[in-house]
Parts: sequence; C-alpha cells; structure tokens
Amino acid sequence: MSRFGGGPVRRNSDGSYSIRLDPTVRNLLASVSEQVVPVMESDDPATRRLFPPAYVGGDPDSARAERGYRDLVDGAMRNHHRTALDTLASTATATTLSAEELALWLSAIETLRLIVGTRLDVTEDMVPPTADDPSAPEYALYDLLGMVQAAIIDALAAELPEEGRPEGPEGLL
Amino acid sequence: MTFGDRFRGRGGATKTGSAPVEVVSPDLDETVSTDRPWLVIVWNDPINLMTFVTYVLQKLFGYSKEKATRLMLDVHNKGRAVVASGTRERAELDVYRLQEHGLWATMEQSG
Repeated sequence: MSRFGGGPVRRNSDGSYSIRLDPTVRNLLASVSEQVVPVMESDDPATRRLFPPAYVGGDPDSARAERGYRDLVDGAMRNHHRTALDTLASTATATTLSAEELALWLSAIETLRLIVGTRLDVTEDMVPPTADDPSAPEYALYDLLGMVQAAIIDALAAELPEEGRPEGPEGLL
Repeated sequence: MTFGDRFRGRGGATKTGSAPVEVVSPDLDETVSTDRPWLVIVWNDPINLMTFVTYVLQKLFGYSKEKATRLMLDVHNKGRAVVASGTRERAELDVYRLQEHGLWATMEQSG
C-alpha cells in the first residue's frame, strides 16, 4: 500500500512489532478510541454488533439460555474491549509494540470498525459516498481502519502455522 | 486507488457438523443432551475482512490455513458456516471467543 510505504506493521527478530504510521493516522486512532469508550458503554444501537446473541431460537429454552450466556460473558467482553481501546489510545504514538499490545490494537480496531460500520450501515458491495456526502468523513475513517487492520492481520497471520495445530489452539484442548 | 477488493466483506455457509457424538455419564445431575452435539456457527457480515475471519478461525481452532480459508469462503458464499461442534459448554466457550474477536457467532443444537 503506497500510502504507508513498505509495511505499516513488521515483526522484529525479538518478537516485538515495528509500527510505521503517519502522525495524522495515529492521532485519529487515539481520538476515535477515546470517543468510542462511552459509546460502547451505552445502549447505542451502533454497538449491537459487539454483543450478538449466542442462542437465537425463539423458544423459552433459548431465551433462558441466552440470559445465562449474557450473564456469563457481557462483563468480560466489555472489560476486554475497554482494555483494548484504552491500550490503543495510550500507545497510538508507539513505534514498537509487544505482541500482546498488537493483539489489543487488532481488537480495538475491530471494535471501532464494527461500530463505525454499523453506523454507516455498510453493505457487502457498497459504493463509497461522494466527497460531498455528509457520511464521507466517517466512511474515510472506516476505510482507514480497514487498512490498518489489514496490515496487522498480515503481520500476525504470518506467525500462524500454515498446517494448523492438531493439538488445538492456545492450549485449550 | 481503490481498496474495495482488499476489503470486501465475506459471507457465510451452512454445513453439517461432523463432531463425534457426546456420551455423557448418567450420574451427572445436570440435564444433558446425549446424542445431539451443539454447532458453532459463524454468520456472514459486510464489515469483517476475509483475511480477518480466516485469521480468527486459525487462531482460535488451530485450523490449517487451508481449512480456515475454506470455512471463511463458506461463510462468505452461503451466508453462514458451522465452524466447530461439541458439547454445549464447549460451544458456548467457542461462541464467546469468536464474538470477543468480533465475529457474528451463534450456536444451535444439531438434528
């Protein structure tokens, strides 16, 4: 991507990641992260993609199971997203990130894309708005978040074994 | 410069689960389903990048890149896909991990 020169996110030999982004982009990431925290903690409809139901049957058993699931996960998910957004805001100017920080960047940017994308009501093959459209600045933000996310994914995905892990992921199995 | 091709969202697919039947000890107190595994489903959404969905499936389930890509394309082309199956408790954990990563995941009992 010519806009960012040779790779915005690159893994260093010590396992950390070098981040090369314009100061303008960094400032935008920091300010948007901060602005989104109260939105995420509200009932704003733009957050509906952040907390989707697990059980979607219309029957009473499903409704009960869904209540149990929400009780179990909502607090943890909100805490995780808050931590990720706070981390992005506080490390937005960093030129080096640990692997853990980069994972939190990925999570925060995902949260931002879900909220902004929901507000824009994006569709699968939507045509970007024209420059004079009031949604143009927000769409430009959405686009930028996508570019940064893609760069992070490229760097992190390169570390995953192509053949997978038969024993299961992250020690869970 | 257009980024549309790079940032297309994906879809989802329906696929029958292939997990082994869960056999549960009869001296457990809880109500159990002894022969119908729970399916973990990822749904298409227009926001998530194809590369992101593939990455999350590799990361969370240890799938090969090839399998994760195939599942992602099922999600993209068919609207939803079964990405895992197992006990109800395990399915809830998988749904939680997928949702925390931003994917639109749900669960349902097979059969």
